[in-house]
Amino acid sequence: MDMIKLNNRDYEWEEGLTVRRLLQKETFTYPRLIVKINNVLVPDEEFESTVIRDGDDVKVIHLLAGG
Amino acid sequence: MNIEKLKSAHKLLKEYKYELGKIERGYTNRTLYINLGDNTIKEKTVTQLMKDKFIGGKGFGLYYLWNAVTPDTKWNSPENEIVIASGPVGGITQYPGSGKSLVCSLSPLTGMPMDSNVGGYFGPLLKFSGFDALELQGKADKDVIVFIDGNSGTIRIEEAPEEAIDSHILGEQLTEMYAENEEDKRNISVVSAGSAANNAYIGLLNFTFYDVRRKQIRLKQAGRGGIGTVFRDKKIKALVVKFAGVKGNLNNPADQSSINKAGIKLHKEIHDLDDKQNRMRQVGTANIIEVMDQYDLLPTHNYKFGGHPDTYKISSKVFTSMITQNTPDGCWYGCSMSCAKAVDRFELKTGPYKGQKVIVDGPEYENAAGLGSNCGIFDPYAILELNFYCDTYAVDTISYGTLTAFLMECYENGIINKEITGGLELNFGNSSASLEMLHQMARGEGFGKLAGLGIRNLKRIFVEQYGADPVFLNDIGMEQKGLEFSEYMPKESLAQQGGYGLTNKGPQHDEAWLIFMDMVNNQIPTFEDKAEALHYFPMFRTWFGLNGLCKLPWNDIAPADNKLTEEPAKIPDHVQNYVDIFNGVTGKKIDKNELIVQSERVYNFQRIFNIRMGYGKRIHDAIPYRAMGPVTAEEYLSRQERYDKQLKELVGFNPEGKTTEEKMAALRAYRKDQYEKLTDAVYKRRGWTMDGVPTVEHLKAIGMDLPELVEVVKKHL
Amino acid sequence: MKVLKRKPELCIACHACESACSTTWFKEDNAEKSCIRIKEGEKENVIVSCTQCGECIDVCPVQAITRDKNGIVRINKSICVGCFICVGFCPELAMFMNDEYIEPFKCVACGQCAKQCPTEAISIEQE
Repeated sequence: MDMIKLNNRDYEWEEGLTVRRLLQKETFTYPRLIVKINNVLVPDEEFESTVIRDGDDVKVIHLLAGG
Repeated sequence: MNIEKLKSAHKLLKEYKYELGKIERGYTNRTLYINLGDNTIKEKTVTQLMKDKFIGGKGFGLYYLWNAVTPDTKWNSPENEIVIASGPVGGITQYPGSGKSLVCSLSPLTGMPMDSNVGGYFGPLLKFSGFDALELQGKADKDVIVFIDGNSGTIRIEEAPEEAIDSHILGEQLTEMYAENEEDKRNISVVSAGSAANNAYIGLLNFTFYDVRRKQIRLKQAGRGGIGTVFRDKKIKALVVKFAGVKGNLNNPADQSSINKAGIKLHKEIHDLDDKQNRMRQVGTANIIEVMDQYDLLPTHNYKFGGHPDTYKISSKVFTSMITQNTPDGCWYGCSMSCAKAVDRFELKTGPYKGQKVIVDGPEYENAAGLGSNCGIFDPYAILELNFYCDTYAVDTISYGTLTAFLMECYENGIINKEITGGLELNFGNSSASLEMLHQMARGEGFGKLAGLGIRNLKRIFVEQYGADPVFLNDIGMEQKGLEFSEYMPKESLAQQGGYGLTNKGPQHDEAWLIFMDMVNNQIPTFEDKAEALHYFPMFRTWFGLNGLCKLPWNDIAPADNKLTEEPAKIPDHVQNYVDIFNGVTGKKIDKNELIVQSERVYNFQRIFNIRMGYGKRIHDAIPYRAMGPVTAEEYLSRQERYDKQLKELVGFNPEGKTTEEKMAALRAYRKDQYEKLTDAVYKRRGWTMDGVPTVEHLKAIGMDLPELVEVVKKHL
Repeated sequence: MKVLKRKPELCIACHACESACSTTWFKEDNAEKSCIRIKEGEKENVIVSCTQCGECIDVCPVQAITRDKNGIVRINKSICVGCFICVGFCPELAMFMNDEYIEPFKCVACGQCAKQCPTEAISIEQE
């Protein structure tokens, strides 16, 4: 199906998509992110090595609430 | 500067002696009332009802204001008051962000009660001098200074004809005048406005603290809503408080230990994590300039767009290099978050102080976005110059930025022209024109004087005098309730449209900031979810204002394990800190739920106050369409892919073969309907009728069915 | 400058230093009021005390912390407002406080503890 969920919205998946690559594609540049794949937390230092699989439920939660 | 000469020109109008008080569990149990019309000075007792229902801070301010005014009172009526208060937790030195003063008054912009919070030492020193709040009523004949000496128990009202009006000079003069020596300067805080507040409705108040390292005063601003204008209308030149002997336990708290524990824990967190998180100590709030740009949220060209290719020129990196680093810039003792920033020895290029080297207190994010990108200005030096002059002239940078952006769009659309502006070429990006307009505002001359009336008045004047199209002006004039929007682009976040629109005092971000939770994270997808957030966050954030606290240390730092918690956005660990320090000071036993109810009481009180003044209904919660979606084809086409997709997927409208105008109309109908549905859901969650009126049942449920409130709402149910 | 030197590998965790310190400065034998603390570890004990690095000087909002002419970092209690930023920001976790007092306290390299140490795990040295 080549689709994942990103924050509960459909998102196109590609082979070898890492967390880091996803953040780059979406220009998610904010430093305080909570990333979960299928409800399991991905530590910041594993963004590079964590590969997202087809059909995964990915959450990238930005912890930001204004100036 | 010849201080002796300035001082010898003072004429004593009234002197009042009082018994020094003692603070018990955060309260002095006494407030100070001063009438400038007849120079009455008296003390009032804080009642149990005030403490139970209004807590302190802006709760006390709104309570006194309610009692002072009638539905017919205007901002410049003598009976209008300015009330300044700390709060029960205010003045503790262990927990970051505990020195805020809350200022309340009827606003010249909105005609409703306004509250604005500000750093600097005034609120805590006022409390240590013996007063939980200061009420100022009446109008003086000539410029006066009110001096409170909290060590000798003396209050004086003095005519003061010769001091400067502009704050960066006046603050120095009065600190010098009332301090006995260099060491004594830290014990003084000055509240003052500036020359633009004599004319403009967007006047602010500066609160000083003395920077012991720079050996100069610093200015913090109670910016929103024109309270500085009320201050000058009362012919107050300045308030000065002096109290020597600040220690960490003057609040006489019920349990010092729990306060110490929470404070040290947060200090440690900031020490360990701030560099990796928001860099508040290095950059302050300006850290988010480029973040907002990257997420299409940085207002540019009067909120037409959310980003600009030139943003890199005013990014946090640029400002970081200009800010003097490695100085602890807390605006009250113990604030290790230290977000206050300063550019030292900044040489001014324009205006009456041209050539002088000054301290610019800032830049804050709002200033960079409002004075900068929103006006198409991407020159950091121009932003700092505007920032400096806004502060010293007492102009709210947010209102100024937003109204200048509005004027620039009007100018580019030919609604106003050079003839009307007196030669100012108000094109986007013209920083010289913006600076000249600001100087005119301070001088009370020309187009700048007119601009100072705020967007709501300008819209009316442009329609009446220049035949402008009222529909277009209402679409692009980013004000609501008379107050200018703060500097975030809310178009793609319905929850933030509500965060701006469904507020008590107008569109600010003191109550709620939900853009990321909503738009990016998609954590609150349904109307009910959004309504819950628009209940919880405004109530939670209201509580800071009841207690003399700052919002920033709540969520501009988070514990390392915050991401493992159930609701990371609330920062549960810090919520518990607030419960602990409140109980630690007052000896009460509240929990996180009672904390919300404390806020609800005051929040509903303020809503009913608005209704009493003739506002506060659903019709007043509508927002301009620029805040909701693309007003012009230019905006639509700039994000066409996004909007076309939404039409197809959300609206059920096939954009193919349609004109831009047809597509814009379909999107507009959809988005306006969404806002109405959101309004329904939020009113329901807050216990209000569909017209936005708190019900008697709800007031009973939160313990706020005071007879005077029930009397007001009954007429509207 | 004088500084307290630590050799944790020699420490036997007898806690005599803590007693000496708190007795000297607070007239009571109470480790919670000592400017030196011994943390007992599985492999090795940890001696926590001030290195006189002076980071606390920069974070103090009221300039109550200064370095004296001998290089010792000292707290002026009459100026201190008890904010405890220095406690949270000390890289050695060697700025201490006790709820009985509203000001923090720290090692000033007086050497009383070193005199009591049976293994010479701590000593006062000139740097």
